[in-house]
Amino acid sequence: MTAHGGRLLHSRVVSDLGSVLERALDRAITGYATVEPQDVLLLDAEGVGVVALERGVPVAARHTGTGRVGREALAELSVPGPCRVELYERDRPVPFADEPATRIPPGLPADRLVRDADLANRTRSAAADRGTGERTDADALEAFLTDDERVEAIQREAREEARERAATWGLENALVEADADGADVD
Amino acid sequence: MVEAFAVASGKGGTGKTTSALALGMALAEDHDVTVVDADTGMANLLFHAGLADVDATLHDLLVEEPDRPVSDAVYERHGMSVVPCGTSLAGFSDARPERLRTVVAELAADTDVILLDSPAALGSKSAVLPIVLADRTITVLQPTVPALSDGLKVGEYARSYGTEGAGVLFNRVTDESAVERVAESSDRYFDGPVLGVVPESEAVRAAREAGKPLLAHAPDSPAAEAYCRAADTLAVDAGDADAVADRFASAVVPDPP
Repeated sequence: MTAHGGRLLHSRVVSDLGSVLERALDRAITGYATVEPQDVLLLDAEGVGVVALERGVPVAARHTGTGRVGREALAELSVPGPCRVELYERDRPVPFADEPATRIPPGLPADRLVRDADLANRTRSAAADRGTGERTDADALEAFLTDDERVEAIQREAREEARERAATWGLENALVEADADGADVD
Repeated sequence: MVEAFAVASGKGGTGKTTSALALGMALAEDHDVTVVDADTGMANLLFHAGLADVDATLHDLLVEEPDRPVSDAVYERHGMSVVPCGTSLAGFSDARPERLRTVVAELAADTDVILLDSPAALGSKSAVLPIVLADRTITVLQPTVPALSDGLKVGEYARSYGTEGAGVLFNRVTDESAVERVAESSDRYFDGPVLGVVPESEAVRAAREAGKPLLAHAPDSPAAEAYCRAADTLAVDAGDADAVADRFASAVVPDPP
Protein backbone atom coordinates (compact mmCIF):
# COMPACT_ATOMS: atom_id res chain seq x y z
CA MET A 1 0.00 0.00 0.00
CA THR A 2 2.90 2.37 0.72
CA ALA A 3 5.38 1.00 -1.80
CA HIS A 4 8.20 1.20 0.73
CA GLY A 5 8.53 -2.58 1.15
CA GLY A 6 10.51 -3.98 4.04
CA ARG A 7 9.84 -6.78 6.53
CA LEU A 8 6.50 -6.68 8.33
CA LEU A 9 7.22 -6.99 12.07
CA HIS A 10 3.88 -6.18 13.55
CA SER A 11 0.30 -5.66 12.42
CA ARG A 12 -2.66 -5.12 14.69
CA VAL A 13 -5.48 -2.84 15.67
CA VAL A 14 -4.51 -0.80 18.74
CA SER A 15 -6.09 1.89 20.87
CA ASP A 16 -3.10 4.17 20.35
CA LEU A 17 0.37 4.17 18.82
CA GLY A 18 2.27 4.01 22.12
CA SER A 19 3.17 0.34 22.10
CA VAL A 20 4.35 0.44 18.49
CA LEU A 21 6.47 3.57 18.94
CA GLU A 22 7.94 2.07 22.08
CA ARG A 23 8.76 -1.20 20.37
CA ALA A 24 10.40 0.60 17.45
CA LEU A 25 12.39 2.78 19.85
CA ASP A 26 13.56 -0.07 22.08
CA ARG A 27 14.65 -2.16 19.10
CA ALA A 28 16.13 0.85 17.23
CA ILE A 29 14.18 -0.10 14.13
CA THR A 30 14.84 1.69 10.87
CA GLY A 31 11.84 1.58 8.58
CA TYR A 32 8.35 2.94 8.99
CA ALA A 33 4.99 2.50 10.62
CA THR A 34 1.70 2.83 8.77
CA VAL A 35 -1.24 4.18 10.72
CA GLU A 36 -4.83 3.80 9.61
CA PRO A 37 -7.37 5.37 11.97
CA GLN A 38 -10.63 3.49 12.31
CA ASP A 39 -12.71 6.36 11.03
CA VAL A 40 -10.84 5.98 7.76
CA LEU A 41 -11.80 2.33 7.72
CA LEU A 42 -15.42 3.18 8.33
CA LEU A 43 -15.44 5.94 5.77
CA ASP A 44 -13.57 3.83 3.28
CA ALA A 45 -11.21 6.75 2.70
CA GLU A 46 -8.00 6.07 0.87
CA GLY A 47 -4.48 6.17 2.13
CA VAL A 48 -2.61 5.75 5.39
CA GLY A 49 -0.29 7.81 7.51
CA VAL A 50 3.35 6.79 7.24
CA VAL A 51 5.79 7.62 10.02
CA ALA A 52 9.41 7.15 8.96
CA LEU A 53 11.78 5.72 11.59
CA GLU A 54 15.54 5.97 11.81
CA ARG A 55 17.12 3.81 14.49
CA GLY A 56 13.81 3.73 16.31
CA VAL A 57 13.27 7.48 16.17
CA PRO A 58 10.34 9.00 14.24
CA VAL A 59 11.91 11.48 11.82
CA ALA A 60 9.37 12.22 9.08
CA ALA A 61 5.71 11.71 8.17
CA ARG A 62 3.36 11.85 5.22
CA HIS A 63 -0.14 10.75 4.36
CA THR A 64 -0.49 8.67 1.22
CA GLY A 65 -4.11 9.65 0.67
CA THR A 66 -4.06 13.41 1.20
CA GLY A 67 -0.43 14.00 0.33
CA ARG A 68 0.06 16.06 3.49
CA VAL A 69 3.53 15.87 5.03
CA GLY A 70 5.36 16.62 8.27
CA ARG A 71 3.33 17.96 11.18
CA GLU A 72 0.20 18.22 9.03
CA ALA A 73 0.34 14.53 8.25
CA LEU A 74 0.55 13.77 11.95
CA ALA A 75 -2.40 16.07 12.65
CA GLU A 76 -4.51 13.96 10.31
CA LEU A 77 -3.73 10.91 12.41
CA SER A 78 -4.64 12.66 15.64
CA VAL A 79 -8.15 11.23 15.88
CA PRO A 80 -9.57 9.31 18.80
CA GLY A 81 -10.32 5.62 18.62
CA PRO A 82 -8.51 2.51 17.50
CA CYS A 83 -6.28 2.34 14.47
CA ARG A 84 -4.55 -0.36 12.51
CA VAL A 85 -0.79 -0.09 12.80
CA GLU A 86 1.82 -1.98 10.81
CA LEU A 87 5.51 -1.77 11.57
CA TYR A 88 8.03 -2.47 8.83
CA GLU A 89 11.78 -2.78 9.05
CA ARG A 90 14.02 -1.74 6.16
CA ASP A 91 17.77 -1.72 5.61
CA ARG A 92 17.65 2.00 4.83
CA PRO A 93 15.38 4.88 5.82
CA VAL A 94 12.41 5.45 3.52
CA PRO A 95 13.31 7.89 0.71
CA PHE A 96 10.73 10.55 1.57
CA ALA A 97 12.47 11.14 4.91
CA ASP A 98 15.13 13.06 2.98
CA GLU A 99 12.63 15.72 1.99
CA PRO A 100 12.87 18.62 4.49
CA ALA A 101 9.12 19.32 4.42
CA THR A 102 8.36 15.84 5.73
CA ARG A 103 10.63 16.07 8.79
CA ILE A 104 9.07 16.07 12.24
CA PRO A 105 10.51 16.59 15.72
CA PRO A 106 11.32 13.11 17.10
CA GLY A 107 9.10 13.43 20.16
CA LEU A 108 6.08 14.78 18.31
CA PRO A 109 4.25 11.49 17.59
CA ALA A 110 4.50 10.44 21.25
CA ASP A 111 3.43 13.91 22.38
CA ARG A 112 0.56 14.46 19.99
CA LEU A 113 -0.70 11.01 19.07
CA VAL A 114 -0.11 9.15 22.32
CA ARG A 115 0.14 12.02 24.83
CA ASP A 116 2.90 10.15 26.62
CA ALA A 117 5.45 12.70 27.85
CA ASP A 118 7.80 10.03 29.20
CA LEU A 119 7.93 8.24 25.86
CA ALA A 120 8.43 11.58 24.10
CA ASN A 121 11.37 12.42 26.35
CA ARG A 122 12.91 8.99 25.88
CA THR A 123 12.54 9.41 22.13
CA ARG A 124 14.26 12.81 22.19
CA SER A 125 17.11 11.43 24.26
CA ALA A 126 17.48 8.53 21.84
CA ALA A 127 17.46 10.95 18.90
CA ALA A 128 20.32 12.87 20.47
CA ASP A 129 22.24 9.73 21.45
CA ARG A 130 21.78 8.05 18.09
CA GLY A 131 22.52 11.17 16.07
CA THR A 132 19.23 11.06 14.21
CA GLY A 133 18.53 14.67 15.12
CA GLU A 134 21.65 15.89 13.31
CA ARG A 135 19.85 18.13 10.85
CA THR A 136 20.93 21.52 9.63
CA ASP A 137 17.84 22.52 7.71
CA ALA A 138 15.72 25.37 8.93
CA ASP A 139 12.68 23.21 9.52
CA ALA A 140 14.50 20.96 11.96
CA LEU A 141 16.06 23.90 13.81
CA GLU A 142 12.83 25.81 13.94
CA ALA A 143 10.88 22.77 15.07
CA PHE A 144 13.40 22.32 17.87
CA LEU A 145 13.41 25.92 19.05
CA THR A 146 9.63 26.26 18.92
CA ASP A 147 9.09 23.05 20.88
CA ASP A 148 8.80 24.85 24.21
CA GLU A 149 8.26 21.70 26.24
CA ARG A 150 11.37 20.07 24.87
CA VAL A 151 13.56 23.15 25.32
CA GLU A 152 12.30 23.71 28.84
CA ALA A 153 12.92 20.06 29.70
CA ILE A 154 16.52 20.37 28.52
CA GLN A 155 16.98 23.55 30.52
CA ARG A 156 15.42 22.06 33.62
CA GLU A 157 17.61 18.98 33.46
CA ALA A 158 20.73 21.10 32.88
CA ARG A 159 19.86 23.32 35.83
CA GLU A 160 19.45 20.33 38.12
CA GLU A 161 22.62 18.74 36.78
CA ALA A 162 24.59 21.96 37.29
CA ARG A 163 23.56 22.11 40.94
CA GLU A 164 24.20 18.43 41.61
CA ARG A 165 27.64 18.63 40.05
CA ALA A 166 28.48 21.86 41.86
CA ALA A 167 28.01 19.96 45.10
CA THR A 168 30.30 17.17 43.87
CA TRP A 169 32.98 19.60 42.74
CA GLY A 170 32.90 21.90 45.76
CA LEU A 171 31.56 24.81 43.72
CA GLU A 172 28.33 25.34 45.69
CA ASN A 173 29.46 28.72 46.91
CA ALA A 174 29.84 29.95 43.35
CA LEU A 175 26.18 29.15 42.61
CA VAL A 176 23.58 31.86 42.70
CA GLU A 177 20.35 31.16 44.52
CA ALA A 178 17.37 29.91 42.57
CA ASP A 179 13.78 30.88 43.30
CA ALA A 180 10.91 28.44 43.57
CA ASP A 181 10.48 28.30 39.79
CA GLY A 182 14.09 27.38 39.27
CA ALA A 183 14.99 30.76 37.83
CA ASP A 184 18.15 32.29 39.21
CA VAL A 185 17.95 35.37 41.35
CA ASP A 186 20.71 37.63 42.57
CA MET B 1 39.77 47.14 34.29
CA VAL B 2 38.96 43.85 32.67
CA GLU B 3 36.07 41.72 31.45
CA ALA B 4 36.44 37.94 31.22
CA PHE B 5 34.50 35.98 28.61
CA ALA B 6 34.14 32.20 28.42
CA VAL B 7 33.95 31.06 24.81
CA ALA B 8 31.91 27.87 25.21
CA SER B 9 29.65 25.53 23.31
CA GLY B 10 28.99 22.31 25.22
CA LYS B 11 29.85 20.37 22.06
CA GLY B 12 33.08 19.68 20.20
CA GLY B 13 33.76 20.75 16.66
CA THR B 14 31.82 23.99 16.72
CA GLY B 15 34.94 26.12 16.28
CA LYS B 16 35.49 27.55 19.75
CA THR B 17 39.24 27.96 19.40
CA THR B 18 38.96 29.53 15.96
CA SER B 19 36.26 31.82 17.37
CA ALA B 20 38.22 32.78 20.50
CA LEU B 21 41.28 33.78 18.48
CA ALA B 22 39.24 35.53 15.78
CA LEU B 23 37.21 37.54 18.28
CA GLY B 24 40.43 38.23 20.20
CA MET B 25 42.16 39.64 17.15
CA ALA B 26 39.14 41.70 16.19
CA LEU B 27 38.74 43.07 19.73
CA ALA B 28 42.47 43.80 19.86
CA GLU B 29 41.84 46.67 17.46
CA ASP B 30 40.43 48.65 20.37
CA HIS B 31 41.38 46.71 23.51
CA ASP B 32 44.27 44.91 25.17
CA VAL B 33 43.22 41.29 24.75
CA THR B 34 44.45 38.08 26.36
CA VAL B 35 43.29 34.72 25.01
CA VAL B 36 43.72 31.80 27.42
CA ASP B 37 43.45 28.15 26.42
CA ALA B 38 41.26 26.74 29.17
CA ASP B 39 40.35 23.65 27.17
CA THR B 40 41.67 21.28 29.74
CA GLY B 41 41.12 18.01 27.94
CA MET B 42 42.08 18.97 24.42
CA ALA B 43 44.42 21.92 24.36
CA ASN B 44 44.76 23.05 20.78
CA LEU B 45 45.00 26.81 20.84
CA LEU B 46 48.75 26.54 20.58
CA PHE B 47 48.41 24.89 17.17
CA HIS B 48 46.03 27.58 15.95
CA ALA B 49 48.32 30.36 17.14
CA GLY B 50 51.66 29.03 15.92
CA LEU B 51 52.80 28.21 19.46
CA ALA B 52 53.28 24.45 19.12
CA ASP B 53 56.96 24.60 20.11
CA VAL B 54 56.84 27.01 23.02
CA ASP B 55 58.57 26.23 26.27
CA ALA B 56 56.16 27.37 28.99
CA THR B 57 52.37 26.99 29.15
CA LEU B 58 49.56 27.60 31.62
CA HIS B 59 49.92 24.04 32.80
CA ASP B 60 53.54 24.72 33.78
CA LEU B 61 52.52 27.79 35.77
CA LEU B 62 49.79 26.03 37.69
CA VAL B 63 51.06 22.50 38.17
CA GLU B 64 54.58 21.76 37.03
CA GLU B 65 56.59 24.89 37.85
CA PRO B 66 54.56 27.17 40.11
CA ASP B 67 57.53 29.44 40.78
CA ARG B 68 57.93 30.32 37.15
CA PRO B 69 57.02 33.93 36.22
CA VAL B 70 53.56 34.27 34.67
CA SER B 71 55.03 36.23 31.82
CA ASP B 72 56.91 33.10 30.70
CA ALA B 73 53.64 31.60 29.44
CA VAL B 74 52.28 34.77 27.83
CA TYR B 75 53.09 35.17 24.16
CA GLU B 76 52.51 38.31 22.16
CA ARG B 77 51.07 37.21 18.85
CA HIS B 78 48.97 38.98 16.23
CA GLY B 79 48.39 42.03 18.40
CA MET B 80 47.17 40.13 21.45
CA SER B 81 48.52 38.12 24.38
CA VAL B 82 48.09 34.37 24.07
CA VAL B 83 48.40 31.89 26.94
CA PRO B 84 48.48 28.36 25.56
CA CYS B 85 47.81 25.22 27.57
CA GLY B 86 50.37 22.63 26.65
CA THR B 87 48.99 19.48 28.21
CA SER B 88 45.91 18.33 30.04
CA LEU B 89 44.94 20.36 33.06
CA ALA B 90 43.46 17.29 34.71
CA GLY B 91 45.46 18.28 37.79
CA PHE B 92 43.91 21.74 37.83
CA SER B 93 42.29 21.16 41.20
CA ASP B 94 45.69 20.22 42.62
CA ALA B 95 47.20 23.54 41.60
CA ARG B 96 48.01 25.91 44.41
CA PRO B 97 45.04 28.27 44.59
CA GLU B 98 47.18 31.23 45.59
CA ARG B 99 49.28 30.60 42.53
CA LEU B 100 46.24 30.50 40.31
CA ARG B 101 45.02 33.74 41.79
CA THR B 102 48.41 35.30 41.11
CA VAL B 103 48.36 34.14 37.52
CA VAL B 104 44.88 35.50 36.90
CA ALA B 105 45.53 38.68 38.80
CA GLU B 106 48.62 39.32 36.70
CA LEU B 107 46.78 38.59 33.50
CA ALA B 108 43.83 40.73 34.56
CA ALA B 109 46.06 43.66 35.50
CA ASP B 110 47.54 43.98 32.05
CA THR B 111 44.54 43.50 29.82
CA ASP B 112 41.04 44.78 29.04
CA VAL B 113 39.55 41.55 27.77
CA ILE B 114 40.23 37.93 28.77
CA LEU B 115 38.84 35.28 26.44
CA LEU B 116 38.78 31.79 27.95
CA ASP B 117 38.71 29.12 25.25
CA SER B 118 36.60 26.57 27.12
CA PRO B 119 36.38 22.77 27.00
CA ALA B 120 33.70 21.17 24.87
CA ALA B 121 31.91 19.09 27.48
CA LEU B 122 30.58 20.05 30.90
CA GLY B 123 31.49 16.83 32.65
CA SER B 124 34.30 17.93 34.97
CA LYS B 125 35.13 20.70 37.38
CA SER B 126 37.92 22.06 35.24
CA ALA B 127 35.56 22.09 32.26
CA VAL B 128 32.96 24.29 33.93
CA LEU B 129 35.45 26.60 35.66
CA PRO B 130 35.70 29.01 32.72
CA ILE B 131 31.92 29.42 32.80
CA VAL B 132 31.99 29.83 36.59
CA LEU B 133 34.76 32.41 36.50
CA ALA B 134 33.82 34.52 33.51
CA ASP B 135 31.75 37.68 33.62
CA ARG B 136 29.90 36.62 30.49
CA THR B 137 29.66 33.59 28.22
CA ILE B 138 29.86 33.63 24.43
CA THR B 139 28.10 30.48 23.21
CA VAL B 140 29.32 29.14 19.87
CA LEU B 141 26.55 27.21 18.11
CA GLN B 142 26.77 25.09 15.03
CA PRO B 143 23.29 25.14 13.49
CA THR B 144 22.36 21.56 14.29
CA VAL B 145 19.81 20.32 16.79
CA PRO B 146 22.37 18.52 19.02
CA ALA B 147 24.58 21.63 19.09
CA LEU B 148 21.65 23.87 20.00
CA SER B 149 20.69 21.40 22.70
CA ASP B 150 24.20 21.46 24.17
CA GLY B 151 24.26 25.25 23.87
CA LEU B 152 21.10 25.42 25.96
CA LYS B 153 22.88 23.39 28.65
CA VAL B 154 25.79 25.84 28.64
CA GLY B 155 23.27 28.63 29.13
CA GLU B 156 21.74 26.95 32.16
CA TYR B 157 25.11 26.20 33.71
CA ALA B 158 26.08 29.85 33.24
CA ARG B 159 22.85 31.09 34.80
CA SER B 160 23.33 28.72 37.73
CA TYR B 161 26.65 30.41 38.45
CA GLY B 162 25.36 33.91 37.84
CA THR B 163 27.39 34.30 34.65
CA GLU B 164 25.61 36.43 32.10
CA GLY B 165 25.19 35.58 28.44
CA ALA B 166 27.06 37.86 26.04
CA GLY B 167 25.21 36.29 23.13
CA VAL B 168 25.43 33.44 20.68
CA LEU B 169 27.64 33.05 17.65
CA PHE B 170 26.34 30.76 14.93
CA ASN B 171 29.40 29.17 13.37
CA ARG B 172 30.17 26.85 10.46
CA VAL B 173 26.93 27.94 8.84
CA THR B 174 26.12 26.47 5.44
CA ASP B 175 22.56 27.80 5.12
CA GLU B 176 22.44 31.38 6.30
CA SER B 177 18.73 31.77 5.64
CA ALA B 178 18.03 28.81 7.91
CA VAL B 179 19.88 30.50 10.77
CA GLU B 180 18.13 33.79 10.15
CA ARG B 181 14.82 31.98 10.45
CA VAL B 182 15.72 30.50 13.81
CA ALA B 183 17.51 33.55 15.22
CA GLU B 184 14.29 34.99 16.57
CA SER B 185 13.42 31.74 18.33
CA SER B 186 16.95 31.45 19.70
CA ASP B 187 16.55 34.87 21.34
CA ARG B 188 13.87 33.41 23.55
CA TYR B 189 16.15 30.80 25.05
CA PHE B 190 19.68 32.13 24.86
CA ASP B 191 20.83 35.11 26.89
CA GLY B 192 22.11 38.00 24.83
CA PRO B 193 21.88 38.77 21.12
CA VAL B 194 22.94 36.78 18.09
CA LEU B 195 26.45 38.19 17.83
CA GLY B 196 27.08 36.88 14.37
CA VAL B 197 26.57 34.25 11.70
CA VAL B 198 29.91 32.87 10.52
CA PRO B 199 29.85 30.87 7.28
CA GLU B 200 31.55 27.50 6.92
CA SER B 201 34.88 28.31 5.31
CA GLU B 202 37.78 26.52 3.75
CA ALA B 203 39.90 29.43 4.98
CA VAL B 204 39.42 28.22 8.57
CA ARG B 205 41.01 24.87 7.84
CA ALA B 206 43.80 26.51 5.85
CA ALA B 207 44.50 28.93 8.71
CA ARG B 208 44.69 26.07 11.18
CA GLU B 209 47.15 24.21 8.96
CA ALA B 210 49.22 27.37 8.62
CA GLY B 211 49.28 27.73 12.43
CA LYS B 212 47.73 31.19 12.21
CA PRO B 213 44.50 32.71 13.51
CA LEU B 214 41.90 33.14 10.77
CA LEU B 215 42.10 36.92 10.87
CA ALA B 216 45.86 36.76 10.26
CA HIS B 217 45.69 34.13 7.54
CA ALA B 218 42.62 35.25 5.59
CA PRO B 219 41.47 38.64 6.90
CA ASP B 220 39.29 39.31 3.85
CA SER B 221 37.45 35.98 3.95
CA PRO B 222 33.70 36.14 4.62
CA ALA B 223 34.24 34.19 7.86
CA ALA B 224 36.86 36.70 9.10
CA GLU B 225 34.58 39.60 8.26
CA ALA B 226 31.71 37.94 10.14
CA TYR B 227 33.93 37.61 13.23
CA CYS B 228 34.84 41.30 13.01
CA ARG B 229 31.19 42.27 12.91
CA ALA B 230 30.52 39.96 15.87
CA ALA B 231 33.29 41.64 17.85
CA ASP B 232 31.73 45.03 17.09
CA THR B 233 28.43 43.75 18.49
CA LEU B 234 30.14 42.59 21.67
CA ALA B 235 30.23 45.70 23.85
CA VAL B 236 33.04 45.16 26.33
CA ASP B 237 32.06 46.19 29.83
CA ALA B 238 35.30 46.12 31.75
CA GLY B 239 35.02 45.69 35.51
CA ASP B 240 37.48 45.72 38.36
CA ALA B 241 40.53 43.52 37.76
CA ASP B 242 40.90 42.54 41.42
CA ALA B 243 37.29 41.35 41.50
CA VAL B 244 37.94 39.02 38.57
CA ALA B 245 41.06 37.67 40.25
CA ASP B 246 39.23 37.18 43.53
CA ARG B 247 36.49 35.29 41.78
CA PHE B 248 38.97 32.90 40.21
CA ALA B 249 40.56 32.16 43.56
CA SER B 250 37.34 31.83 45.53
CA ALA B 251 35.78 29.49 42.98
CA VAL B 252 38.69 27.10 43.25
CA VAL B 253 38.73 27.16 47.03
CA PRO B 254 35.20 27.90 48.19
CA ASP B 255 34.76 29.64 51.50
CA PRO B 256 33.41 27.42 54.25
CA PRO B 257 29.61 27.71 54.62
